[in-house]
Amino acid sequence: MVSDAPVIAPSSPLPVGDARRLGQIEQHDTLAARNSRLAVGDLLTVRVRRFDGTAELQEFQVPYRKWMRVLDALNWIADNAASDLAYRWFCGSKMCGTCAVRMNGREVLACWEAVEPEMTLEPLRNLPVVRDLLVDRAPFERKVAELEPWLERRAPYPSFPEPLSHKDMKDASKALDCIGCMCCYSACPVIGLGDLTDFAGPAPLVQLGQTALDPRNHDVKIAHSLARTGIFHCVSCYKCEEVCPAAIPIVSQVIEPLKAKAAALLPKMAKHPRALRAVVALRGRVDPSALVLRVQGWRVLGNLPRALRLLVRGKIDPIKTLLRRKTSAAAAAARLLEGKGRR
Amino acid sequence: MKFAYYPGCSARSTCAELNEATHNVAARLGLALTHLDSATCTGARELRAIDPVGFHTLNVRILALAEREGLPLMTVCNTCTLNLLDAHAAFVAEPELAAEVNARLAEEGLHYSGRTRISHFLWVLYEDIGIERLRQLVVNPLTGLTVAAFYGCHITRPPARYGFVDSRNNVALERLAEILGCRPIDYSGRTECCGFHTAAHDERVAIKLTGQHIKSAKSNGARTMVTPCPLCHTVLDGFQREIEKDMGEKLDMPVLHLPQLVGLALGLTPEDLRLDRHMVKTQAIASIPSA
Repeated sequence: MVSDAPVIAPSSPLPVGDARRLGQIEQHDTLAARNSRLAVGDLLTVRVRRFDGTAELQEFQVPYRKWMRVLDALNWIADNAASDLAYRWFCGSKMCGTCAVRMNGREVLACWEAVEPEMTLEPLRNLPVVRDLLVDRAPFERKVAELEPWLERRAPYPSFPEPLSHKDMKDASKALDCIGCMCCYSACPVIGLGDLTDFAGPAPLVQLGQTALDPRNHDVKIAHSLARTGIFHCVSCYKCEEVCPAAIPIVSQVIEPLKAKAAALLPKMAKHPRALRAVVALRGRVDPSALVLRVQGWRVLGNLPRALRLLVRGKIDPIKTLLRRKTSAAAAAARLLEGKGRR
Repeated sequence: MKFAYYPGCSARSTCAELNEATHNVAARLGLALTHLDSATCTGARELRAIDPVGFHTLNVRILALAEREGLPLMTVCNTCTLNLLDAHAAFVAEPELAAEVNARLAEEGLHYSGRTRISHFLWVLYEDIGIERLRQLVVNPLTGLTVAAFYGCHITRPPARYGFVDSRNNVALERLAEILGCRPIDYSGRTECCGFHTAAHDERVAIKLTGQHIKSAKSNGARTMVTPCPLCHTVLDGFQREIEKDMGEKLDMPVLHLPQLVGLALGLTPEDLRLDRHMVKTQAIASIPSA
């Protein structure tokens, strides 16, 4: 078994001094750079997951032409090899957000991604497959409608121009860059777990952020929407940011500001963050037992077997948890976090 | 080579073995670590979401403590690293925020001017120790040990912070494992998420997500996993029993902290590295060196 294991082999000598950027080569891996590895007439091997998303891959040989994108390869297949191939596109210029697919395991816009010599093209995940690369966007649209992402003003419209600064609109303006392509929705691991949680997912939250992060919106309206987002199920993995073709900082400038609003407007939703804040303010650091006790209350009894195992390995220390030491870190945290957020 | 050392909360509690291993490995590598005694938590993911000013203040305070020592700051936790990097970036980019934070720090005579270099232990190995030096220090190559590297999220993402368009191309851990004599394997979980950050209120997400990753590592032939993050370790190792129960199969996958894997290759003993403090038994790994 071990000898057959796929091994990650370095393709070039080890670069020194840039461990944090060993993936950066990708940054220069733009359409032009990738295309430069191919010559006109080269045959690309394109495998497409067809039919209901579970069928075998169908393989096509596609002749490369200059500046070829994934979309061009799909168009060639539809014109020359499989006229029944189902895929969606409209603008061809990174605006309409309809052509997203998964290429070699990652979410891309077909119209903005260079072809690879070998490509596996699959439909987006986490949405029902209609046929071939076509997915049904209805679950996303239903969720967005449920969140009622519109603006209800606190006061009547004053007059034009409205007193808004770029700082007021900083986060909302990022959300407004969304082209609704569903790349993030496909990449989100929590959405991938289906009905396990009530998490709305990155794409619906970005749609909500367009108005919920707008300072003109009414708090009552925002709270009403946020209550249906399950937003604290976001695991902060940044998978959504990694694939977003519009480069929206989805976690740090949409989901986190929305979490801040939820914590202020619906404190019960934010039990975990508020408990962490209280533990840090009290102890300077996180004592995991103290945090879990605060968040889970009596539910913690369900975890007794693990608690015992952790105790045996010395991973938790109930005495330390109970007899909280007065440390210099605790004094600093108490002063700096004083009063705020202790609802 | 001197560093201010910031272990973070996890390495001071549930993952205390990481703290101990880091100290022993640092000594072997010739790194002198200075403790920042009054350093607080960086606020995990939770504080930064609900209290941005509190978050920035705590993090900049840690950076100011290191700056006062005149030392770069070494971390051993992904999330702490990202929090500190983010706070530093915000401090530099937003003068108003910087002034507000410094005003609060002034109450205890602290000031940050934006000079602290933040580096994770993984990067210190590459950037400060250097690969050639590390190669020389390997006295106990872990020949034949198949390793699945589990990066975790916050050491490669968000892309804007690290300059990756696709973090899945990061091979820093695999290349390091090779230098230590191991055989890094490819599997689907390499740069996926362990779900730790919602585990305090709902473990099911962590259990479901991480189960897939361990299973993939196992079926691709890994004898151990290694991670640069104690939060990932807590789920991979600490929750493995619950994960097995959820999947209905045994996994028995030992999970090492990065300094532990390095330490084994540098000739430290399993006792030095506190391999006994893991939930999943590590004997099979501990017997690899000098065997």
